[in-house]
Amino acid sequence: MKNWIKVFVLAAVVGIGVLIYVWFFIYNKPHMNIEKATPDYIISASECYDHYANGNNNETLNYTGKVLQIYGSPSSIEKTDSLTVVVFTFSTGMFGDEGIRCTMLPSYSNEVSNSILSKEISIKGYCSGYNETDVILEQCSIIKN
Amino acid sequence: MKKVALLTAAIIICAVPFYGQHFITKNGHISFYSDGPLEKIEAHNKQVNSALNIETGDMVFKVLMKSFVFEKALMQEHFNENYVESDKFPNATFKGKVVNMSDITLTKDGTYEADVEGELTIHGISNKIEDKGTFIVSKEGIHGNSKFNILLADYDISIPGAVTGKIAEEIEITVDVKLKKFSK
Repeated sequence: MKNWIKVFVLAAVVGIGVLIYVWFFIYNKPHMNIEKATPDYIISASECYDHYANGNNNETLNYTGKVLQIYGSPSSIEKTDSLTVVVFTFSTGMFGDEGIRCTMLPSYSNEVSNSILSKEISIKGYCSGYNETDVILEQCSIIKN
Repeated sequence: MKKVALLTAAIIICAVPFYGQHFITKNGHISFYSDGPLEKIEAHNKQVNSALNIETGDMVFKVLMKSFVFEKALMQEHFNENYVESDKFPNATFKGKVVNMSDITLTKDGTYEADVEGELTIHGISNKIEDKGTFIVSKEGIHGNSKFNILLADYDISIPGAVTGKIAEEIEITVDVKLKKFSK
């Protein structure tokens, strides 16, 4: 085989490889699997809420966008058409109870019942920040000891 | 002394726009959609805070930008890091009023048109908006819906040069909130 054909075939193979890599691992890369992720911080629910509610911006940046594992006693559970939310309440304001709202992964919806209320549990989730009333944790799972 | 306390309480009550009977949700749904030549972009946020004072018509929305979920993780990253800079501007807000609140009979089930106006703040930039929505009143509460368009340029959201003309400069926002009576 002539050299220029070898070079052409090699370049084509490398090019296709790069395209496949970009398509699957960059453009269509999957969302982070929060359930399997190692938490960046393990803190109590009250400590987490205090960091945001007290308005310490540096602390806020530390937790937002991170995987948190919080522990404490939830005060209520809300179920809507598509979401199950475990709520840790620390205050009351214009929008009602304020605290930490943990949106559970669908696979944990059935596990969440009133039996977990007022008992200490650990929940892991992605912290999307503070909306000036609540700290929001998403894709949450219950950590069993 | 009692009169002073009562007067003080009255002043505080008048100063707080959301005192009075109001309806709230923390699970409101806001989605946006844009259809550009390069790609369609759609994202959903199902954890929107909203409150409506049915006496004054005052209405508030608070939307955490990092709670928007996209189909593609890469889009979500670009949205938060390059477009809305959600670390710097974590929340979008709407503060406004249902100007025809007196036309909406909350004691009677039915569908009512709501004229809403107020200030929408995204990416740290505020603009006045006026739009129409629908309130469906039932025993369960008030189900509010609205759909409107915004221009990215109005909120200082710039499209990177490499994809200019390939991503839509106008996005359609859909609001769907089920407000329930708030009682302490």
